[in-house]
Amino acid sequence: MSDNKKKILEMLAQNKISADDAYRLLSAIDGGEGRRESNNKAGTAVKDKAKYLRVTVVPDPESERSGNYDRVNVRVPMSLIRAGIKFTSLIPSEARDKVDLALHEKGIDFDMRHMKPEDIEELIGALSDLEVDVVTKTGEKVKVFVE
Amino acid sequence: MKRPPMLMYMRIQGEKGGVGLWLPLFLLLPLALVVFIILSPLILVGAIVLWPSGWGKRAFLALRAALEIFWSMRGLSVDVHSGRQCVSVSVI
Repeated sequence: MSDNKKKILEMLAQNKISADDAYRLLSAIDGGEGRRESNNKAGTAVKDKAKYLRVTVVPDPESERSGNYDRVNVRVPMSLIRAGIKFTSLIPSEARDKVDLALHEKGIDFDMRHMKPEDIEELIGALSDLEVDVVTKTGEKVKVFVE
Repeated sequence: MKRPPMLMYMRIQGEKGGVGLWLPLFLLLPLALVVFIILSPLILVGAIVLWPSGWGKRAFLALRAALEIFWSMRGLSVDVHSGRQCVSVSVI
């Protein structure tokens, strides 16, 4: 039982609120929890359905009309990202040490040797929440998202 | 079960003209299998020689990972336009 429900029942026991009020408040709490649960389920479903990592660069209409523009549309399957991350486990230890050192110099403390399959899944899961939306000075819209 | 990619479409468009190319990837797999069977005695000798140093196992794992990457390429799409020039790669 949640703390809120306990408080309502205590208030009812102390006759601070009527039975009707208590019923209304309890119903409101149950409704809120139900909605939250269904939202969480929907979020998990979206994560499970995430199939592609998309990177798009859309030029602003003016530069598109003038013909001087860059347009990029990249779609990478999640399974390819997963396979690519697994491929890192085959990097020879000498090269891996150099990569770790280079990352450390950039302020990223990441040891590739300790990468486990569960970590890969966690990383992919975190990618599902990724959304980057940038508008440059020239009006280009850069988007990185998962669909 | 994941299905392997069947076709790859590449298109390169320049200022003066462009070229589009359909690559039948499904034909690569039987071809690779034939090459593997022909080279299998050499691969076996190489694996026996390299196994004690650890590189034989690494080579087999790399081959497996490369196959997994190939298998996962279905759906990959890269489309880059710069003015009138464009490069497109799609794996179907």
